[in-house]
Amino acid sequence: MLIAALLAAAIHWPPLTEKKLDNGLTVVLVPLSNVPKVTAELTFLAGRGSGYREHPGVAQLAGRVLNEGTTSRTSRQLKEELRSIGGSMNVTVDDDATTITANALSEFSPRLLELLDDVAEHPAYPKSEVDLAKTNFAQEIDEQRSQPDFVANEQFEKAMFGRHPYGFVVPEPAAIAKITRESLKQFAGSHYAPNNAHLILVGDLQPDAMFDEVQKAFGAWKRGNAPPLESPPLPKREKRQIYFVDRPGSVQSTIVMGAAAPARKSPDYIPLRTANMIFGGSFYSRITRNIREDKGYTYSPFSQADLRRRAGSFFTSASVRNEVTGPTILEMLYELDRMRVLPVTKEELDSAKTYSIGTLALEMESQSGLANRINTIYTYELPRNFLVTFDEKVNALAPDDIQKSAARYFDTYRGAIVIVGDYAKVKDQVAPFGDVTLIKR
Amino acid sequence: MHLPLLLAAMLTVPVEYYRLPNGLKVVISEAHTAPTVTVAVYYGIGFRVEPKGQTGFAHLFEHMMFQGSANVKKMEHAKIVEANGGVLNGSTRLDFTNYYETLPSDRADKALFLEADRMRSLEVSEENLKNQQNVVSEEVRNNVLNQPYALFEWLDLWVNANQNWFNAHNFYGDLHDIEAAKIGDVRQFFKTYYAPNNAVLTIVGDIDPAAVKPMVQKYFADIPLQSVPERPDINEPQQTEEKKVKETDKLASLPALALGYHIPDQESPDYPPVVLLNLILQGDDGSRLYQRLVKEKAISLDWGGGINFELGNEFDYDGPMLLTSRTTYKAGHTGDAILKEVDAVVGDIQEHGVTAKELRDAKVRFRSNFYDQLESTFGKANLLASFALFHDDPARINRIVSAYEVVTAEQIQSAAKKYLVPANRTAIDRVPEKK
Repeated sequence: MLIAALLAAAIHWPPLTEKKLDNGLTVVLVPLSNVPKVTAELTFLAGRGSGYREHPGVAQLAGRVLNEGTTSRTSRQLKEELRSIGGSMNVTVDDDATTITANALSEFSPRLLELLDDVAEHPAYPKSEVDLAKTNFAQEIDEQRSQPDFVANEQFEKAMFGRHPYGFVVPEPAAIAKITRESLKQFAGSHYAPNNAHLILVGDLQPDAMFDEVQKAFGAWKRGNAPPLESPPLPKREKRQIYFVDRPGSVQSTIVMGAAAPARKSPDYIPLRTANMIFGGSFYSRITRNIREDKGYTYSPFSQADLRRRAGSFFTSASVRNEVTGPTILEMLYELDRMRVLPVTKEELDSAKTYSIGTLALEMESQSGLANRINTIYTYELPRNFLVTFDEKVNALAPDDIQKSAARYFDTYRGAIVIVGDYAKVKDQVAPFGDVTLIKR
Repeated sequence: MHLPLLLAAMLTVPVEYYRLPNGLKVVISEAHTAPTVTVAVYYGIGFRVEPKGQTGFAHLFEHMMFQGSANVKKMEHAKIVEANGGVLNGSTRLDFTNYYETLPSDRADKALFLEADRMRSLEVSEENLKNQQNVVSEEVRNNVLNQPYALFEWLDLWVNANQNWFNAHNFYGDLHDIEAAKIGDVRQFFKTYYAPNNAVLTIVGDIDPAAVKPMVQKYFADIPLQSVPERPDINEPQQTEEKKVKETDKLASLPALALGYHIPDQESPDYPPVVLLNLILQGDDGSRLYQRLVKEKAISLDWGGGINFELGNEFDYDGPMLLTSRTTYKAGHTGDAILKEVDAVVGDIQEHGVTAKELRDAKVRFRSNFYDQLESTFGKANLLASFALFHDDPARINRIVSAYEVVTAEQIQSAAKKYLVPANRTAIDRVPEKK
């Protein structure tokens, strides 16, 4: 049977209205009337590695306490007001950004904007909240480090990015104790500024009316002086290196294998994203067919083109039972090299194109999905017409483009392999693949 | 009000509902905000009523449904859906197993063809069964055995809180049972439960029902109906005294506590008050238990919980249920200290009730959470399919919000007195193994 044709009609994205307040805040308004709610993402260019050389963890802790009280509302008052508008507000700190994500019933949009502005403009950093957050943050890190995926990811980031801020994942507990309330306030004062931010609003809204409300809520917020983003050179690896984190008693080996990739705004992004779909970014991908459906080594193998504002990585990962650790690495290396050496078939590429375009359109189903996608345009400095030109760029790709992308970025010879598992049980399976650095915790 | 209520008139989900002569229930709902469609088939068989002695079988079987059918080879299902720009998945829950595709809305016929083919003609081989036994065993290792806490807040809590085997067995399955499954068991299970008269087909999205109905007819109408066995008795005897269980964890570094109360049937008049009571107690960081345990007493690091916790929502199940809480807490405290605080918070509601503001806010919160489930085509399909499967009434989706608007503070107080008592509770305190 004919499996699929390329999508015939262009995807119709809702219109993006972009405006700027006098204080430099970029505002993007997008109507999506699926339910009577509205979603806001207020993003500051302050990643988890911002300021980490002086105060490891300062960005994460400052984000964590950001919505725990303002100069006019206690933490509890804030939470109770959010409850009364059917709302929620969370702060996340990732590699590039601190984002306050909030939503509420759209009948209460003005109140949601008022609360969002209060949190961003007037955080109080109450001493009791800072103390509690420090204690809890240290304990949570302890708990996260008992999870194999977290440990593997942390080690992989260190291997990829070294002393670049992306190489910093979480601080040691002793470092948290040294962070003061003053350093948090200072961090907030410089980084959480309107001219270092963008506000994405998606949902049951009319752009002009909503922009008037944004002006009322955020208009008086003063500009700040955020330090420029740091982008030191990345570590160079001349040959493959294995980092083994010992976890005695582990019944699986968690494997992450990958190499450096460019920033998201690079023209290489779309070919690499498409190569990733074929390799491990979908269920009918090569790695899933091989090590899951053919060999039964693992439940959830996958790969990801993790491209950020300043740099990125491409990696593939799987958790497998101890006995098949070596065979899994072998198959991963084989599948990666196969894409570098041989062209993909036209059928594979056509499928990947349709999958890539179709699944992007699925993000339009939810306000948060669409807001997240639009946010990437601003956080990663993508062209403003990214969404509407996406299908055209994807459809223009030829097998040769995919092979070139793989040849460059699926580099198993200068890549890193991180394994979290029981070293005594699996070390002999790992040794043939390269030099091993053993990490005990 | 500053902004017009653009959607005030849009809160009705369109529902078309009918049955094919072979008993298949069909629900069609138009939704035009995104150019997508979800096709979902819900079968009335979940892990709660899987065969005795074969723990994990319902879930293992779910995997077999991706291994090929008469006209679709192994892995071709995923290949076709993805090549058409869609995503797919399946999951096994307490009272149903679902399979679904979400894809560009002009591709609904592909998904309908695929779902009909495997409903009519599942093909399994020894080789594919062995392969999926390995995959499922890795899934159990990955999600349970190699993880701190091992999902104890539902896997272990259900085993300990219930007495009837159907509610009280290991739903994910013992590795031994998973590995012992035979091809004959797989064929028999398919024949027994995967009948059109034990299923709901739901189509939600940017489609024209008039165009979709002939496709449904074409693909599904000639699948023969079968005799499906009566559901076993899954009723749960009344718990009469508090249960406390101690567990140790080789992989965790901090202690955690899970607790669950038995709650009334969904059709009981006490159910909506219990749902709102849950929202007053937990579910966000403004709730009473979060404020007490995480902020005031600073014993807990987090506080989560709910009805059908980690398995679904307040509506997508059919049988005995627990209201669950789960918390990771700081070293140096005890599970008993947490239970004491829980009793104090609940006791305050039992004695003084909830405030008018709390009640109003809980209703707003309920409405907001309910709308979250109506956002995506899959979210809507999940509710429509559940209401059709369990109550033969998918249009119930449009009556939920108003049913919760009429709950009173007195009802909530009396629900707290009746259900949130220690004698009706099971708690598991899970502490790190001493190293």
